[in-house]
Amino acid sequence: MANLKLNHITKRFGKNVLAVKDISLEVHDGEFLVLLGPSGCGKTTTLRMIAGLEEITKGRITIDEDDITNLPPWKRNMSMIFQSYAIWPHMTVYQNISYALKLKGMSKKEIDKIVKEVAEMTDISIYLERYPNQLSGGQRQRVAVARAVSVKPRIFLMDEPLSNLDAILRVYMRTELKSIHKKTKATTIFVTHDQSEAMSLADRIVIMKDGEIVQTGTTDEVYHNSKNMFVANFIGAPPTNFTEVTITVKDGKYNLVNPDFKIILKDKIAHRLKDYNNKKMIIGVRPENIMVVDEKDAVMSVKCLLVEPQGSHQVIIFKINDKIAKLVISGGTKIKSGDTFFLNFKQEKILFFDYESHEEI
Amino acid sequence: MWESTVSKFAKKTIFYILITSLIIIILTPLYFLVSLSFLSSREAYQFPLPLVPAISSEFKLEKGDKGYILSIYEKKDGEYQTMLDTSNMEKMSRYMKTQLNVDISIEKLENYISKLDQQNEVYFKNYKGLLHNYQTFFAITRDAVPALIRSLQVAGLTILISLSIGGMAGYAFARYIFKGKNALKVSVLFVRVFPAVAIAMPMVIILATIGFYDKPIGLSLVYSVGTIALTIWVTASIFLGIPVELEEAAQVFGATKLRTFINITIPLALPGLAACAMYAFIGAWNETVSAIILTQFNPTFAVVVYQTLLGASAQVNLAAAGGILMALPMVLFTLFIRKYINQMWGGVTA
Repeated sequence: MANLKLNHITKRFGKNVLAVKDISLEVHDGEFLVLLGPSGCGKTTTLRMIAGLEEITKGRITIDEDDITNLPPWKRNMSMIFQSYAIWPHMTVYQNISYALKLKGMSKKEIDKIVKEVAEMTDISIYLERYPNQLSGGQRQRVAVARAVSVKPRIFLMDEPLSNLDAILRVYMRTELKSIHKKTKATTIFVTHDQSEAMSLADRIVIMKDGEIVQTGTTDEVYHNSKNMFVANFIGAPPTNFTEVTITVKDGKYNLVNPDFKIILKDKIAHRLKDYNNKKMIIGVRPENIMVVDEKDAVMSVKCLLVEPQGSHQVIIFKINDKIAKLVISGGTKIKSGDTFFLNFKQEKILFFDYESHEEI
Repeated sequence: MWESTVSKFAKKTIFYILITSLIIIILTPLYFLVSLSFLSSREAYQFPLPLVPAISSEFKLEKGDKGYILSIYEKKDGEYQTMLDTSNMEKMSRYMKTQLNVDISIEKLENYISKLDQQNEVYFKNYKGLLHNYQTFFAITRDAVPALIRSLQVAGLTILISLSIGGMAGYAFARYIFKGKNALKVSVLFVRVFPAVAIAMPMVIILATIGFYDKPIGLSLVYSVGTIALTIWVTASIFLGIPVELEEAAQVFGATKLRTFINITIPLALPGLAACAMYAFIGAWNETVSAIILTQFNPTFAVVVYQTLLGASAQVNLAAAGGILMALPMVLFTLFIRKYINQMWGGVTA
């Protein structure tokens, strides 16, 4: 049982650098929470403050109502997987895993049992007597995981643990981590800048930017209801297509008008836009929400600039309002670069953003 | 193809010639030191110096004017050379022992002389005492063994002081940010610009005041001043090479800062610490100038060896034996510490 709460956490480096600005966050017991954001957004600093490796300038951290704000890391009963793995090069795999258990004062017999158990779980049983420099990157990663699992921590911290692996191994370890989390049920905080990693692992994603939390929610929530243009752009690959439109009202119908197209909105969507009559705004449409249709159902025609085949699907690149846009369709559709084709948007999936603030409407 | 083979061969040959010359240049003085330490006093002052110490000597005894004439076979001339003419057997025995490193009893000499009644000359051969110089060295120096122990104490204390203070300071320089860090780091080197002789007198006064004059601890304190500076610089760069995450990981997994330092940092820094220990040991062991000034009745071994070179009784072969005795612990220590210096852990700097 571990319920982690961050209350108005602020971190300042020196006088001028404000790394984390007044963050509040609750991590529920057994939850897999992902801190996602571009580099320098404060996600790693936040994690390090939770671990106790970084002093907190302002605010409080509690676990199950225990205040741990000023507790040193060795008293917090957490475990961490580092980006560089940080397995100790002068110890064998066995010693690496057993070190933390030894510090807890366990008997040799208990330690041996746990080490064997976690080694089995992470598939490194045959490497126990080896030194880290005799292992490959993937194997070192497993040692780091085994060491982190062995202590049965209150909270699991992972700082970009997969970013040093090659692409295939990364996807494989992703699945492994998820299944280990399912087995251990430990509260986990995972830091990454890779949105696809975040979406596939997370129970809940916390998106950060410039030291602040931008949006918190499940994968579906942040994907389909992105709170602002930053999130819509950051989450999903290829990213959301943005274009400027002006709202006009004609015969009680709301129209989105742009040099390239005119969309007549359905009433149930339009009611949100009451205050925006004759105003400019930005709409976002995800690549899979743009449909290739027959001429009679279309809102615009475009010329295909490029096709990126991906096997199961393909990415078509074209221009809306002189800006590059992308759409995703199934691999079977026959469109070549240079072809002209017709588009429509799934109106329910269109995201509306304020022209000034870039916030969702 | 053929040309490249030749040039390759030529390059290789030149390379090995250079290497060989270098080794000869390095080893020649060492060889003479070792060889000299086994020579008898007579051999040591011969010209040219024998390249290899003789293992045995051949002698001839015959009747002379004053008593009996002792001659020694000279290999390079191929003839016997008269050494002394005396009837005093005790004198002859002592002469053979001190000048020729040959240990022979008076009874045995008298036995040979008794044979001179039947024949004109008696020939005999005797082995040289090879370690004779070493025995003499310990016999004539006042307190070589206690001095050896004192030297070990001085070297040990110097390692202890400079590694504990220098190592911790090096860690602070590597890991923490504080005001005046760079100025402080340069200033620790500043103490090394003063020659030992220049600061020796003030040191005598200071050490006498705190009661450390003529004591191993006093000497090691003086030596540590210099070695600490070097230790700080070496260990700071070694500690910088150890990724902080390795220490942070230990802390997250339950180790206090002190425990992390002992279990993680020190083992990983061992090569650098070992190199510093070696430097401190060699420095403290060899140092003579300050030791002469800062000790009076309790000299270190280096001072004792130095004294064998002084005065009328000075003998170069005895000094060589002392030199070898002095070099031996250093060689042993270096061999012992070598395995730690070579023990670089893969991935520490990665």
